[in-house]
Order: sequence, then C-alpha cells, then structure tokens
Amino acid sequence: MKRLKDALLLSEQGYKDLKKAIGACTLTNLSMMLPFCVTVMIFRELLEGITEGSTDTSAIWKLWIFGIVSAVAVFLCAKNDYRKTYIASYKESNKTRERLAEHLCGMPMSFFNTRDLTEITSNMMSDCSAMESMLSSTIPPLIADIISSAVMCVMLAFFDIRLALCVFITIPLAFIIIIASKSKQKKLFRSQNDIKLEASARIQEYLEGVKIIKACGVSGKRHEALDRTLRALKDMSVKTELAIGVFISGASMILQSGIGITIFAGCALLLSGKVELLTLLMFLLMATRIYGPILAVLGQLSTLMHLDVVTDRMRSLMIADEMGGTEKTDGGNIEVIDARFGYNDEEVIHGVSFKVEKESVTALVGPSGSGKSTMSKLIARFWDVNGGCIRFGGKDIKNISPSSLMEHMSFVFQDVTLFNDTIFNNIKMGRESASDEEVYAAAKAAFCDEFVSKLPHGYETVIGENGGTLSGGERQRISIARALLKDAEIIILDEATASLDPENELFVQQAIARLVENKTVIMIAHRLRTVADADNIIVFDGGRIAEQGTHRQLMEKGGIYRRMYELQMNAS
Amino acid sequence: MEKKQKDMKPKTGLARCLEIASDRQPMVILSAVLSSLAAVASFIPYLAIYGVIKEILSVYPKLDLLDTHRIMLMAWTALGGILLNIVMYFLAILFSHLAAFGTIYELKTAFAKHLTQIPLGYHMNIGSGKLRKIMEDNIDSIEGFIAHQFPDFTASVTAPIVMVVILLAINIKLGLISLAGIVLAFVAEFIGYGSKDMKHNMEQYQNALESMNNASVEFVRGMPVIKAFGRERSSFAKLKKAIADYTDWVLKFSLGWQNCMPAFTAIINNIYLLLIPVGLIIMRSDSGKGFLMDFIFYLLFTPAAAGVMNKIMYVSESFMQVNGSVERMDEVMNIRELSDTRKDIKLSSCDIEFRNVSFSYDEDQQKVLDNVSFKIKEGSLTAVVGRSGSGKSTIANLISRFYDTDSGQVLIGGHDIKDIGVSSLMEQVSFVYQDIFLFRMSIADNISLGKKDASREQIIEAAKLAHCHEFIKDLPDGYDTVIGSSGIHLSGGERQRISIARAILKDAPIVVLDEATAFSDPENEYLIKQSFRSLMKGKTVIMIAHRLGSIKDADNILVMNNGVVAEQGTHDELIGKGGRYKTMWESYEESMQWKVGGAAV
Repeated sequence: MKRLKDALLLSEQGYKDLKKAIGACTLTNLSMMLPFCVTVMIFRELLEGITEGSTDTSAIWKLWIFGIVSAVAVFLCAKNDYRKTYIASYKESNKTRERLAEHLCGMPMSFFNTRDLTEITSNMMSDCSAMESMLSSTIPPLIADIISSAVMCVMLAFFDIRLALCVFITIPLAFIIIIASKSKQKKLFRSQNDIKLEASARIQEYLEGVKIIKACGVSGKRHEALDRTLRALKDMSVKTELAIGVFISGASMILQSGIGITIFAGCALLLSGKVELLTLLMFLLMATRIYGPILAVLGQLSTLMHLDVVTDRMRSLMIADEMGGTEKTDGGNIEVIDARFGYNDEEVIHGVSFKVEKESVTALVGPSGSGKSTMSKLIARFWDVNGGCIRFGGKDIKNISPSSLMEHMSFVFQDVTLFNDTIFNNIKMGRESASDEEVYAAAKAAFCDEFVSKLPHGYETVIGENGGTLSGGERQRISIARALLKDAEIIILDEATASLDPENELFVQQAIARLVENKTVIMIAHRLRTVADADNIIVFDGGRIAEQGTHRQLMEKGGIYRRMYELQMNAS
Repeated sequence: MEKKQKDMKPKTGLARCLEIASDRQPMVILSAVLSSLAAVASFIPYLAIYGVIKEILSVYPKLDLLDTHRIMLMAWTALGGILLNIVMYFLAILFSHLAAFGTIYELKTAFAKHLTQIPLGYHMNIGSGKLRKIMEDNIDSIEGFIAHQFPDFTASVTAPIVMVVILLAINIKLGLISLAGIVLAFVAEFIGYGSKDMKHNMEQYQNALESMNNASVEFVRGMPVIKAFGRERSSFAKLKKAIADYTDWVLKFSLGWQNCMPAFTAIINNIYLLLIPVGLIIMRSDSGKGFLMDFIFYLLFTPAAAGVMNKIMYVSESFMQVNGSVERMDEVMNIRELSDTRKDIKLSSCDIEFRNVSFSYDEDQQKVLDNVSFKIKEGSLTAVVGRSGSGKSTIANLISRFYDTDSGQVLIGGHDIKDIGVSSLMEQVSFVYQDIFLFRMSIADNISLGKKDASREQIIEAAKLAHCHEFIKDLPDGYDTVIGSSGIHLSGGERQRISIARAILKDAPIVVLDEATAFSDPENEYLIKQSFRSLMKGKTVIMIAHRLGSIKDADNILVMNNGVVAEQGTHDELIGKGGRYKTMWESYEESMQWKVGGAAV
C-alpha cells in the first residue's frame, strides 16, 4: 500500500482518501455477496423441499424480506463508493496539478528555455488525467476486487477445501503469466509513450510551421516527418495492443477453465458422496461469478503498469531542482568574476570578468553566438554559472533568492510574452500592487495610448493567444510599460532586433529612453550606433571578452568593434 | 475520405463514427461479428452448468443413477465455450484495433492536410492548443471507440438479445419477470441520461477541461515573464482557478450519476427478488421438479445478466464522450477549405495585378484592404511599406492564397489565382516569411522542402548562394545535422539564411518576401542581404519591407495606409512628392540615429 502511494505520487490526504475509497469499494463487493448468500439459502430450502416432498414457503418469504433489505444495502454501499472514489480522485488530481504548477514556479528560468514546453504541458495535463481515471475507476475497484476475492477464497475454503482448490487453482497460474509478461509489457508501453511524445511534438511543429508547409506543398501525408511518426505510432500501438491482448487472453482462458475443473471434480466428489449437493451448487454458482472481478484485475494489471510510466515522467519533473538562495539583496554594483558557463558539456562562456557600476549604461555587443545574450541571462540568474561568480551588491547571486533578485531587475526582451487577458492586466503584470492610475500612466509613458485608443474596448481589450492581434511594436510597448511599472533599478535590455515600421520604432525608442532614465542598464545591442554613448561597451567574441571601453576608445583601438561598426555604417 | 465528408450531410454520434471508419469497413464488421459470437459463446458455460444441475436434480437424491457420461460432456462444453469466447473476442479486438489505428492515422493526416487548406486565420482564432488537442486527444478517443467500444457495443447488443431468448425459452413466465427486472434497472439508470442538467454539465465539463488545458499551456509558456515580474502567485492563482473549475464541473458531472449508477447496480444484482414471489405463487399450483429446476436456473442465470448489462452501461457512457470529441473534430473539419481547381496552369507571364481587392480577416472587423488595385511588372522589384496593420502583410498572404479575397481579384499572368491549382501556384511562387520556421529534420531536408527531388549538389549550391554553406559544413553532421538536436544552436541570421536557401532552391519565377524584421549582427546582416540578392536575381519580387533602408532601389514602392494604397512610385519620386512616405523616411532616419543613454529623444 505504501508503495502505491509513492507510485502514484499521492499526497497524505490523497493516500488516506484512496484507502477510504478502496474500503468503500470492498464493502460494495462484499455487499454483493448478500444476494448470493440469500440465493444459496433459498436453494437449500428448495432442495429440502425435494427431499422432504414439501417446500417451507414461509422460510423463503423470510429470506425474501432479508433479500430486500440486502438490496437496499447494496444500493447504499454502491452509492457510498461511487461518491468516495470520484470525489477523492478528482480532489487529488486537482492537488497534483497544483503541485506540479507550483513546482514549475520554482524552477530556474533556464528550465523553460531548454525543455520542450510540449513535454512540460503534456506532463501536467494528460498525465494527470490518466492518473485521475486511475484513481477513480481503476485502482479502488481493482484493489477491492483483490481483497474481496481473497475474502471469498477463505470463505469457500471454509466450506470445502477441495472444491475451493478447484475454483481457485487457476488464479495463480493466470497471474504468473501476466507477471512474467510484465517486463515485456512495460517495455512496449515505454516505447509507445516515447512515440506518442514524439508525435505530439511533431504535431505541434506542424501546427506552428503551417505556412511553410503550405507554401512548400507538403501538407498531410506529404509532410514526411509527421507522417512517419504517425505511422510509427500506429504500428507501435497495434503491436502493443496485440502483445497485451495475447497475454490477457491466454491468462483469462486459463483462469476460466476453473469452471470446467470444478464441474469435473465436483461431480466426482458428489458421486463418491464426499460433498453435499448444496455445497456443489454453491461452488458452481460461485465459479460463474468469481472470475469476473479477477478478470478485471488481470485486464487492468497492464494499465497499472502503464501508470508507472506515467508517473515516471511526473516524478522526473518533480525532482528537477528548484533554484536555491535565500538572502535578500538591496542592489548595488554588478561584478562578474571569471564566469564560466556551458549549456550542456560545451562551455560557451570562458572566464569572463567585468563590472557594471550602478546607474551606468553597459553595452554587450558581438557577433551572434559570441555569448553576449548568455551573459545577460547569467546576470539575471536564468542559470547559475559553472565557475567563477557573479556578485550583486557584493553578494554572490547564487545565495540571493530568485524572487528577491527579480525585484531588482526588469527585462525587455525581443520575444514578448503576452497573456490571453486584457491589455490592462498584461501591463499590470509589472507590479501587482499598482493602482489603476499607475498602470495607465505607465501605459501612457510607453506610448501604448497611441494604439490602445484605437482598439474596440481600449485597455479592456482581450488580446488573443500570445497577443496575436497586436503588431510587434505594440507588443514591445506593452512589455516596456510593464517594466516601467515595475521600476526596477536594473534594466536588462535585449535590443529589440525586430525592425518595426519607422513610427513604431520611434515610439519604442522613446519608451525605452524613459525606461532607462537613472537606471543601471545592461543592453545587448545589435546596432552599434545605438550604444555609441554607453559608459562601457563590452565586445564579446567566442565566449570571451575581446575588448571593452567607450566607443571612442574602441574606435581608436581599431579592433573587432571598429570593423563591425564600419560594416554596419556601410550597410545602412 | 475528405471528399465524402464534405458532400454528405453532417452526421452525428454513432453514424458519424462509423462513417469515419468506413474505409476499413470489412475489418470493423468482422470484428463486430466476432465480438457478437464471443458474447453468445460466453453463455455456454452457464448453460453447461445448468445442464449439470439439471442432470443432478433429475435423479436427486438418488445420485448413483447419475449419467456421468453426460456430466463429462457438460464439463467439456463449458470449457469449449470459454475457449470459443476468448478466441473470438481476441480476434475481434485484433481486427478492431487494426481498423482503429489505421483510421485514426488517416484521420490525423486528413486533419493535418485540412488545416493547410482552410484560410490561415482560423489557426489564429482557434489557437494551436485547441488544434493540438483535437489532433491528439479527440481523434485518439475515436480509436477507443472503434477498437473497444464498437465491438463491445455490438456484443452488448447481441448478448442481451441472446440472453432474452434464453430467458424466454426456458420458462416464459420467469423469463418475463427477469426481463421486467432488467428493464427496471435501465429505467433507473436512464433517468440520469435524459436530464437536461446532465447534458449541460457534460458541456461545461468539456469546456472547463479545455480552459484548463489552455491555461496550463499559457502558464508554462509565460513562465519566463511570470518569473521576471515576480508574478508567480497571481499567475498560479489563475491556473489554480481553471483547475478548480475543472474539478468542480467534472465532479458535478460525475456525481450526476451518484444515484442512477448505484440503483442500476443494486437492481441488476437483485433480480431474483422479483422471481421469488412469482416462483412461489407458481409453485403452489405446479410443484413438479421441472419447474423447480427452471426456477433454480433463473436464480443462477440472472446475476449473469448484471455483467452483460454493465458493459452496455459503460459503452453508452463513453458514447457520449466520443460524440463530443467527434463534434470538436468536425467543427474544424467542416470549415470550408479554400477552393482548389487543381488546374496546372503554366503562366506565360509573371505580371501580378490586384484588381479592386477588399479583404477583412473577420466579417465584422474593419477592412484590412479596401478596394486595392495595383500592378506589378514581370521582373520588377516592388516594395510594400506602411505601418503595421496597414495591410502590407495581407498582400503577401493573399498572393500565397492563405486567404481568399472578399471581393476583387488577384491575378498572376492574367489568371485569377483562384483558377490556378494551389500546387501549381505554389510552384510558381517562392515565399520567405518573417517568422522563420525550421523543422526538426536534417538541414538538407529543410532546404529541399520546396523541391523534394533536389540532388545534394543542388542543395549545396543553393546553400552556397544563401551563404549557409560555410556554417553548415562546420556542423557535426554537416547537411545531415538535425535541427533542434542537442548542441546545435543556429543564430537567427543563420536560420534566416537556411530559409532563403529553401527559396533559392525552389527557384520559382515569383518571389514574395516578407522581410525578416529581426536585425542580426552586422556580419549576418551583410550575408542575408547578399543572399537576398541571389534569390531575387531575375525574378518578379514583392517585398513586404519593414526597413526602409533596404528598398531604396525598388522599381516601385507601394505605400499602404489604412488598407489603401496611399501613394506609389520610386524612392526619389515619393520623396519629391513630400507625402506619407517622406514622413516615414524621416522617422526612419531619425530612429537610425537613436542612442541609449545618449541625448534623450
């Protein structure tokens, strides 16, 4: 039972509820024995009637009344277990979903950049749904069946051990088959699951790339990558189902052959007078009924194994490390000391050191892939450095709690994430405690008024999935309004590389100018002219700092910066 | 298959599900027949046991008269029945799964194809989360239907019929009473189904499930921002509410059955209670052994009815769910595809003309293009500029036939593009979009996406022209490097150049360029510019331009404003005119001078 709790990642309450649900189901199963007992007792009266020549009808009527009472009992038990199992399972999966979501909140920023978002979401949703149905309609009845079958075994053995053996001899055999096939099944499920995830990712890709797919005329089956995975999924599914079908069918055949055995042996015993007719009848009756629940157990054993795979994935998500650090920070200078970092084994930042003075403008420039973006994300602690350290106000940021660190930083990145909510709420993201006036003021300062006023519901307009209805410049202005509202002392600015139409561009630029006033600015710049007035320009190349200084110093030096600058001047 | 779906009146429920599987009808029917036979066979053990009891009672209490030979026969019959039941059921399931997985495979590909043939706006409106859910969960639930529920359904229809026949054949009075009990059980259960509340709850539950799905997608996707603004709590609260809503509705929906289901269970397991009074009354007049045996048979047999009927219950419950799934799928499947004449028209010229074109993305929204007319000469470079939302990207979307015009015509070489087969049109036009999308395939496959039969040499040639060759050959597996595999990081500029190589390889006479808006580092910028030059050489080009700097040399510049062509001409002409373009140009020049931390704006 304890293992069940771990296997299903249940909470304490959930575990308790599950136990209660199992208890309720067992009770229902046992209550079903009441009609059976009444039936057998009526048999007895009827058989006595044959031997004695007349039937005691009043005894039967009494049994009948008892039968009515027991039918009501069955109803009450069934209702009780129905409620218990469903309420318990949905409450529990509610909790699991919340727990997963809560856990995700604690994950480092990098987690969301490196992980496949499809997989994360799939983990949260479909795995929980699978668990939900496990907890409601599979596990409690299943375990209840096991318990009540065992109870019946004992009861029957008490009546007649020989016949009980006949009925039950096939059960271990059937289970041996299923258990022997367990590893094979698990393997099949695993590969099926892998293909499912792959197909899921391919479908996502297909949906995202639909324009190109259309333009290149590779839709539907002609999109080979999707077609291949869907085919593979089809084949794998058939294979899995078949293999499981063979095992289950074999096992259930063996199991049910107990009926034949009971008839053979029972009649032989009856003839030799070693067993009474009523007992034999009872066993025959039993043989027609007992295998049903056990078959259900057999059939769902494989599903139970599937559950392992399902929770495996959730478990690996749950144990992924949350970011550490508890200290608070009051801000200050930023110092990068011999920082080293690699995404996987491959190091991309090779010992970088520099200083960012409070309220200065620092530009990070360099070719793409030179490490400038990575460096800015290290400062924001999307990842922790592998070597060296980054100090913020004198404290190693590894020791600063991520939320305290975030309070001091604002980001304006090029990929703006907007939520399917009103524009007002999207801006309010920046600071929860902001008053409505402050939100409007920030919006105005970021030149959002200009386009919001044209929308049908103004600031109350709901923007669709990731703000699809807004232009790039408008989305950027919303994100700048957010940052303005937040008013953090450090602004990390990934210069919006996306070029906007000239008016939009001017708006965004003016909004940024307001945002960076009197702030510590770290700016990843693509247009070198933009940062020509920066206090310090750090030129990255190949994960190292190639040179740094002011624009004038770097131009005089005649290094990589100067070459880039000139190339860009010529181009425009 | 798609064709059929469009011509026929939309069906619902079972009929629609069977229609979906119609390509695999023989297998579906075979599985239904086998499954029914298996259900029939499942009664054999009961009859055998009845036979045994009958043999015994007929001699009882003088057991030495028992015909052991017959008893043995009964025992073997019981075993044979079990064997038959299982083998046939196994075969039924085998066939049904083959049919089911085949069908959902076809459905998924048909759905995927359909998605590319409906106007693209639906993708934005419906949202990729929902589309994905349809393609995975909803269509998968059809698998369950064909593979399990349909054979189970036929079995659960056959079984009661056989059961009723057996019930009535052995003793008609007792049989009728048992039937009455079964009917009673169903009445108790169906009280639940019929109710309006139930339907409402079911809908709400499906909706809540969907909202929860969307909320969690957004939660995960938005996490970087959520963290950046320390908004974990409120964002979490939002998701939490969606989860709680779902739990509420799913519970309401499930608990709607909290009386019906147990009532069914209680009645179906206690039918003998109806038999007893009747049996006792009959026995008063007929106390023969024959009736007693019948009576015992019914006591034995009616509990078996529970199992048979339980299956029906389960099947009918899942029917409702699969029905919802199919409806969701059909909602999308029924969106009219853009017409496709499939005509292969070879264009004699590549002149492009917009003739009085009006277009809006949504019927009730304002027009994005309002009676727009312009001409593009073969071999010329036309740039389209304007604010975002001015309709310039729409022009590209209409030429690609991602949408059809509301009124007016788009003509290429004198042909209305609606008359040109889609694949034929796509052969004549290359597109480079600003949202670059590379598939998780090898780089070579990504480049040759538009020209499947391209040789490796041609691919490399195109890559060279797009200045990709340099970085591709340095990748671990060169052209066979799979995009997105670990350790492979391509910069935006590199990805862009791969997409340009794709268009170069395709070598279509018309090129529609939705200029990539993203700036790359100077080196990359330069290379992209060079690649564009290779791509545009000798082609008719429409360039949706975001940077005015790159279009100074265009043969014609269309300046879009609020859905109309505000002005057109060459750069010099437009500057001379002193209109909108001139204002834009000045803004552009000013924005190019902007500096952070420098003199404020």
